[in-house]
Amino acid sequence: MDAHSASSTSAAAATCPFGYTDAAAEPVSSAPSGPEATSGILAPVAEWVDPAQMMSNPYPVYERLRAEAPVAWVPALNKYLVTTYTECHQVEMDQEIFSADVSGATMTQALGARPMLRKDDPEHAADRKAINPSLRPRNIKEAWAPVFERNARHYLEVLADRGPEAAELNRDYAAPVASQNLIDLLGLPEVAVEDLRRWSHAFIAGTGNVLDDPQIWARCEAARAEVDALLADLIPYYQAHPNASMTSALANSGLPAEDVAANVKLTISGGMNEPQHMITNMVFALDRHPEQREQVLADPELWPAVFDEAVRWQSPIGMYPRETTRPTVLGGVQLPAGAPLGVVVGSANRDRTQFSGDPDVFDIFRPKQAHLAFGSGVHLCAGHWAAKTSIGQIAVPLLYRQFPTLRVDPRRATTWDGWVFRGLTQLPVTWNQ
Amino acid sequence: MSTITYHQSDGTARTLTVEDGTTVMRAAVTAGVPGIVGECGGQAMCATCHVYVRDEHLGQLPDISDDEEEMLDCATAPRDPLRSRLGCQIPIDATSDGLAVDVPESQV
Repeated sequence: MDAHSASSTSAAAATCPFGYTDAAAEPVSSAPSGPEATSGILAPVAEWVDPAQMMSNPYPVYERLRAEAPVAWVPALNKYLVTTYTECHQVEMDQEIFSADVSGATMTQALGARPMLRKDDPEHAADRKAINPSLRPRNIKEAWAPVFERNARHYLEVLADRGPEAAELNRDYAAPVASQNLIDLLGLPEVAVEDLRRWSHAFIAGTGNVLDDPQIWARCEAARAEVDALLADLIPYYQAHPNASMTSALANSGLPAEDVAANVKLTISGGMNEPQHMITNMVFALDRHPEQREQVLADPELWPAVFDEAVRWQSPIGMYPRETTRPTVLGGVQLPAGAPLGVVVGSANRDRTQFSGDPDVFDIFRPKQAHLAFGSGVHLCAGHWAAKTSIGQIAVPLLYRQFPTLRVDPRRATTWDGWVFRGLTQLPVTWNQ
Repeated sequence: MSTITYHQSDGTARTLTVEDGTTVMRAAVTAGVPGIVGECGGQAMCATCHVYVRDEHLGQLPDISDDEEEMLDCATAPRDPLRSRLGCQIPIDATSDGLAVDVPESQV
């Protein structure tokens, strides 16, 4: 499959499935790690931060934090928020000082066991080693691109049937495509998209359950029971009949069953909403920037840049936690041992010190700079090649090939929600029949 | 312990003295050498630690693994058939002293 078009044949010679050409990019300098804990001011307190406001639009809050207090104690969240690119990157690059194995991890409680996302190396590396091979670009292109294309084409028909007066892109296309892609990638036969969505949302609600709502824990428990019942059959099946799926890779990795189960649930939590939101993000972005849309529709080589800029501009994951293992200084601010941090990559991706021009503007032609939408360091999203392929090169290009006049329908409401996880909850679309 | 030199396209260079046990990528990132990103922390999952090893040092390198081979095709800067390597797959050990690499103009 060609990197840019699902239906044309690929070019000759050994090329990356992602068809990178020699883009002129600035060298990126990495922040040195290992700060000395000998100086630094006490953390500023940002009492004004209002999480409710962030749920509807976090970007003004991010901008103010970057300007006034890039490492700040936020009482409303009981965390130090880190909002600038250099500091977020520094945290990600040093797992010794900034551990992912955070105390009281709600994710661990939601999933029933510690997944790889809440471990540091060497434990973490053992889990990652089990799934990295299946998620590298060549396997994604050869084993999975045809599946992603099949799923996109199926739901394009569903969307077409809805018609240009009623079609809602999140509900009718993005959600089921992302869900079915993950069902297939994980290798969960006969699981319906509605079931995967229910499990994913239960686990995510649990991960966000800082208020300790017992009803949310109950939903998690029910979801865990269903997934465990499925795995009780699937793990031995895949051990006897391995295939290209992630569950098969985990089942045959030698990892204990508890870790196999935790990482399957982690993938269910983290591998569905984000690709879903990237479909609607890309369409929203192109709709708001019609001159860029026209150029993309005329030149499919631009699709990778659309995905990359959309994921930077409206990052589906805005923040994740870390915890200091000893006193340290970050961005000139003293942090004690055991400090709960929020690494706000949604903010880092708008930082003018990293991105030229106006980073609040969606511009597929901006000079390429590394962004943090997939994280960085050892926890860099294992699924990032799968996301780039399934969404950036297949689901959205095919959508526009089928509906070249696709646009957001201004007659019906478009709604955004969230900041830790952020996306369009409704994106009504229309087209010329 | 090895000395590793990183040459930039503008003619500047930086030489590091590096302990055994790390990698060409990790040493560069830790020291803030520009142009080596190492986005994935050394798992051969991102191809952003691409370096061009200088000809006279090619004999000091370990063989390319299948994973490194695949990922080198995804590097954004042109792949040199002999000199291109992933910095995270070059360990610092008894064989790496004196290594010199050219840092590509793009990694992302």
